[in-house]
Amino acid sequence: MTTITVEAVELTKHFGVHGAVENVSFSASQGEIMGLLGPNGAGKTTTIRLLTTVLKPNGGEFSIAGHPSTAATEIRRCVGVLPESSGYPSHQTGAEYLRFFARLYGLNRSQARGLSDELLAAVGLEQRGRSRISTYSRGMRQRLGIARALVNDPAVVFLDEPTLGLDPAGQAQVLDIIRSVVSAGDATVVLSTHLLPEVEQICSKVVILNRGRVVVSGSVGEVIGTAVIEHSAHLRVPLHLVERARQVLTNFPGLTIDQIEGQPDLLRIAIEAPGTASGAPPTDAMNAGLAAITAAGIPVLRFELEGARLSDAFLKMTSEAVA
Amino acid sequence: MTLRVAPPALGVRQELRAGNGQPGWFVVAEQECRDLWTSGRGLILLFLFSVLLSAVTYLTSTNQALNFLEQRESVNLVLQFAVAVGVLATLVVSADGISGERERGTMETLLVTPVARRSIIIGKLIAALTLWFATFLISIPYVWVLGREVGILGLALALGFCVGTLLAVGLGSIGLLISAACNSNKTSIAASILLLLILFAPTQLPSGLPQGWFFEVLLRANPVASGLAYISALLVEGHSWTQDLSYLITPLLTAIIGAGALIFAGPQLVRLTRGVNAG
Repeated sequence: MTTITVEAVELTKHFGVHGAVENVSFSASQGEIMGLLGPNGAGKTTTIRLLTTVLKPNGGEFSIAGHPSTAATEIRRCVGVLPESSGYPSHQTGAEYLRFFARLYGLNRSQARGLSDELLAAVGLEQRGRSRISTYSRGMRQRLGIARALVNDPAVVFLDEPTLGLDPAGQAQVLDIIRSVVSAGDATVVLSTHLLPEVEQICSKVVILNRGRVVVSGSVGEVIGTAVIEHSAHLRVPLHLVERARQVLTNFPGLTIDQIEGQPDLLRIAIEAPGTASGAPPTDAMNAGLAAITAAGIPVLRFELEGARLSDAFLKMTSEAVA
Repeated sequence: MTLRVAPPALGVRQELRAGNGQPGWFVVAEQECRDLWTSGRGLILLFLFSVLLSAVTYLTSTNQALNFLEQRESVNLVLQFAVAVGVLATLVVSADGISGERERGTMETLLVTPVARRSIIIGKLIAALTLWFATFLISIPYVWVLGREVGILGLALALGFCVGTLLAVGLGSIGLLISAACNSNKTSIAASILLLLILFAPTQLPSGLPQGWFFEVLLRANPVASGLAYISALLVEGHSWTQDLSYLITPLLTAIIGAGALIFAGPQLVRLTRGVNAG
């Protein structure tokens, strides 16, 4: 049986007359990585601050790991948080920093030392634990921040833009740590990020916010499906085989083939309308077309599906809400 | 590189759940003290304090050699200076307490720990007070040099410690209250220094405050001026310690009200930003 560890019901927060979060409701279960997505100013950070008791809601309720919103101290004891643009005391070492937080959660000095060493090793900072934080790169600071968020063995981990400003290698390391947090225990991770391809990879659930409201929530597949996107793809083949590829694909009902201007080796394949291909699912026509291309001996240099990605759904949902 | 996060050992996990370690205020105070003293900030303030105190002691002792100042007056002058500057240093450090955390972006990480907001602010006040105690320790040899021959060394040190501690607690608390009301560290520190200068100004008038009930009320309403007036009354005028005890009412009230406001209003003061309705 899945246990719901994060539940928000009609959560509302106003700053003066400005409504930052309006009637936001969602839930996440134990062992789940939930992506909290939205454009800048959508209310992601405010939602995280409400759920971590940093801010008080103006309306609605929430519970974290079974604790109601009124039990702030119990909630703080079981959540780990990496705030957006978190600051660090530059004169402290990474180990000192973690030891301080471990002691704030009730550990004695020796337990705190042991735990800080373990966490530094877990995030790949064991060699730099005795160095001052001022000497750390941005990626190292983010990993230290994640280690700090894990210092209390939290039931729910909130990570607000953990990959912000990191290079691809740094992003990959952070995502690797997030995966291992879930696989190592039963923690729930609430991840606020703009890295949509990564969300597709690691999140089991997605909530898209826009202007303080939930515009869609569900699994990645459900969210993409809700967006009702016209499916299309880009196909790159050798230049001298473009015409042949076009002929092969034209034989498939429900597919429209266009040449992309300025890119003679690239074809755009679009499914005309969902369900038009003799009652079969629209993606079947795409798959059959692709199989025919390879069967005809035409090498596929690139095949990229459009309109079936989270980023497409994200843009569609957030732009629809604006309109 | 493959990174693996393992759950902590069972004993550690149980401790984390129970939270039976040292009290939160103690852990915060210890860390704040470490930050203050190992970052060099406290040592720099202490060094500047010693340089200023050396200069003041030198000037008063040379004046004393020329018979311009009585030896008791020299002790009084140096002690008053030590108290005023020691309290100023405490105020500067406490004024950084909340606004500094906000400015450095470290406030949120502190707010999401289970430590009570009240404990956070108490820990910060205790750490700021260590600077007052350090400046007082530094001033002991200076007072000893000037006061050993007139037999007022013990009295001067006891007075300096009591009055200075009351003022440091009171103004340190006010510094933290100002800090909580400011989002900018510069504003907080500037407002705190301005407050101390306003309070300290009457003691610097060449012939003191003019006579009259209005100025007497003004003197007694000012915790710094009345505290220093008490020191003068005992050291220079030779009054008994009970004779002018009423001068200590304002410093005492400032300490009680300031610290009380911090303790009772702590949960409302320690917020992510000034004015946000935080939990």
